[in-house]
Amino acid sequence: MTSVVDTFISSVAHLDYNINILLFFIISLGGVVIFTIFALNAMISVYFERKVSAFMQDRLGPMEVGIFGFKGGKRFWGGIGQTIADAVKLLVKEDIIPKDADRLLMILAPFIIFAGALLTFIAIPLSEGLVLSDFNIGVFYIIAMSSVGVIGIILAGWSSNNKWSLYGAMRAAAQIVSYEIPIGLSLLLVVLVVGSLHLGDIVQWQADHRWFIIHSPFTFIAFFIYFISTVAETNRVPFDIPEAESELVAGWMTEYSGFRWSLFFLSEYANMLIVSIVAAIVFLGGWLSPLTIINIIPETWLFLDGPAIGVLWVMLKAIILIFVMMWFRWTFPRLRVDQLMYLCWKVFIPISLLNLFLVSLWELII
Amino acid sequence: MSQYINNIVYGIKSFMTGMKLTWKHFANKKELAATLQYPHEKWPIPDRDIGFDHSEYNLIRSRLHVDIDDCIACMQCERACPVDCIKIDSIKPPKDNDYDCGMTSNDTQKKMIVSRFTIDMSECMYCNLCVYPCPEECIYMVGGPNADKHEIDYEFSQYKRDGMIFEFADATDEDIRGAGGDAWLEKRDAKLLQRSEGEKLNGIIPEETIPQTSKETIQESPPLKEKAADSSSNIAKELSIASFNDIADKMCRGISKKAYTAAKRAGADDPSILASVAQALQDAGKLSDDIQSILDLLANTGNEVGGKNMPANDENLESKESNEIIGVDLAITKEIDIKDLNDIDDKMARGIAKKAFVAAKRNNENKIDAISKALSDAGKMDSDIESLLGKYAVAGSGSSTVSDSIDIEAPKASNVDVSEASNEDSLFAITDLNGIDDRMVRGMAKKIYTAGKRANKDSKEVIDEIKNAISGAGKMDDSIMLILDKLDN
Repeated sequence: MTSVVDTFISSVAHLDYNINILLFFIISLGGVVIFTIFALNAMISVYFERKVSAFMQDRLGPMEVGIFGFKGGKRFWGGIGQTIADAVKLLVKEDIIPKDADRLLMILAPFIIFAGALLTFIAIPLSEGLVLSDFNIGVFYIIAMSSVGVIGIILAGWSSNNKWSLYGAMRAAAQIVSYEIPIGLSLLLVVLVVGSLHLGDIVQWQADHRWFIIHSPFTFIAFFIYFISTVAETNRVPFDIPEAESELVAGWMTEYSGFRWSLFFLSEYANMLIVSIVAAIVFLGGWLSPLTIINIIPETWLFLDGPAIGVLWVMLKAIILIFVMMWFRWTFPRLRVDQLMYLCWKVFIPISLLNLFLVSLWELII
Repeated sequence: MSQYINNIVYGIKSFMTGMKLTWKHFANKKELAATLQYPHEKWPIPDRDIGFDHSEYNLIRSRLHVDIDDCIACMQCERACPVDCIKIDSIKPPKDNDYDCGMTSNDTQKKMIVSRFTIDMSECMYCNLCVYPCPEECIYMVGGPNADKHEIDYEFSQYKRDGMIFEFADATDEDIRGAGGDAWLEKRDAKLLQRSEGEKLNGIIPEETIPQTSKETIQESPPLKEKAADSSSNIAKELSIASFNDIADKMCRGISKKAYTAAKRAGADDPSILASVAQALQDAGKLSDDIQSILDLLANTGNEVGGKNMPANDENLESKESNEIIGVDLAITKEIDIKDLNDIDDKMARGIAKKAFVAAKRNNENKIDAISKALSDAGKMDSDIESLLGKYAVAGSGSSTVSDSIDIEAPKASNVDVSEASNEDSLFAITDLNGIDDRMVRGMAKKIYTAGKRANKDSKEVIDEIKNAISGAGKMDDSIMLILDKLDN
């Protein structure tokens, strides 16, 4: 097992530093790196999303704001400085806390949500060995940590002392808790086949055999169940009933503004990135080159299949999945609450359970 | 169960349909994008078409424009405008002025220059009526058939309403001045000043309502007092509200004006008006000596002879001169100049010296010698003057450079009895009358003096006249008598 932390500590072990100081240093550094990744991810994704939505609606999206005078292309890639301007705007906005709000909880909530996203990302390998902390139980840990955000959402809705916020928070809780079940069952399928909760092992299994999305019809279905459920878990359209701007103003985020609101925003896009990377690792071969599926690749192309280039493959796969999430968002209307629950409890969970049974049979037979 | 599976299948199908649709739009973004990047791209403006062919009416009415080089300031557009949004000022060069106003593109000699040509497009109703009468076709709506003259402009929104006023005149101040438009420029500048002051005052309490402190009154009143005294003859011949403008204190002025208006409305005559004004001031506790004297002056204005007398401001000149002495530059030129003589403190000696200087200059004599001789003759030579002259004598001979250790004392302004001996054969100086304390008497005396001077009378005659006038006014007292007698001698 190799992780960034382990590699660092073993490499400086001969210098006889206090191990606690070293850990503190490397963990702080890791946190900063993850935060930077999240911030960059949010900025790029927001621009990406605005452009995708614009193109799908026959618009052009942001076109005017540039960076250092560079506005991007004349027609379709303009306005690349827009999210930087947006970020600056968000950070200088007034931070409003309502008079009757529960001050402590209201201040705490965005940090809990963000901490959930941050903790989840610790266990996510971007390539072989490129993981801050390499868990044996990586899949389990990710599922567990992605539930932490629910506490923050409920706190945010409750502390705002606003009925729309509370409605949104309750809906979010119901939705996220519900959709964790199909997510868990879908991942369980893979764990069942591989026999390990370790994400590195799962990728290694795919390298030895084949990607899980084409492993069997059941894992194929499981991938879609997982993916759609994660869209619901990240509260994105068409499962955005916790926010539901046409019904609840902004749901549990109604009373937030400025930096705290931008933390919610950051967390939403961070969660998108996390679930997409997990989907890419578990179902789409992780840092394996897609060229390995085709067995006719020339020898000279093998450099595209290594740990260093693996980061790019993981990110590429994740970005494609993020794009599909955006594609969903600008295609489908929002589900009703009953439809949402119907989809989860009466479609995804039975099919997932059936899948689990059938894939066990498949493994026995084949 | 089949319903359940049908639902799922239908859901997947509609899912695919929806995704396909949005993908189609996403992929064809280049053709489908409907956005017009407005400030950078614009739709073409359709031609106006009223159903039949008429070039006059089928033009787009976008914005008025004036080719000011062609404008002959005939004012026909201004007159034609139904909403008066066109304002033209023109200046016709006077007959003796050969300022060339230029030619229009139709070879018409322009006879005036256009100093102002403003069109307020926020008032314009786009009726096009100003366009038809223009003999030079220099005012027109831009775009459409006139696109070759001026490109179309239909988006001229502004942040302030002033921005909608378009100024087309391009005559510079020099042009206007060259064409003899000084009066116009003054008028314009006055208007601008007024406007800027108005903007400055916006939101400030009008000064009239602020009570003046006594300090300010003291500071302000002396010059005004003098003015009032010296120009007493210039004060309006009959009592009017403007007569009170000489009162320095703003509050007192206000009170007296109010009292004047009230008394006037009640039909009182001048003395009773003044009495009521004095009473009002007394009640307000504002009646000072200055004001009293002004009121007295006003009371007597009607009785005095309303001659057009020169204001006796010699006194001011005198004090100005004496002030200059203080500021004399210590750098000494080699050649003595008449200005250098200002260093002489004694007024009389200075006068003698200057006279001698001019005479010597005229006769090409040695100036220093002439001056010292004249001063010695008059018995006015003292050590200061000697050292001053000696310095110039040395400097003039060029043997040595200058020691600038001249003692310059700030001279005090004139005394009454200085010129006792100065102008023996001519008239005494008007400043000598300043010894008279009573402001009114002084004014009277000065008036007579000026009249006498103009008639080339000598001192004795003038003093007699003054004595008679003062006695006639019943103002003669010992001190005045003493001063006049002194002058007589």
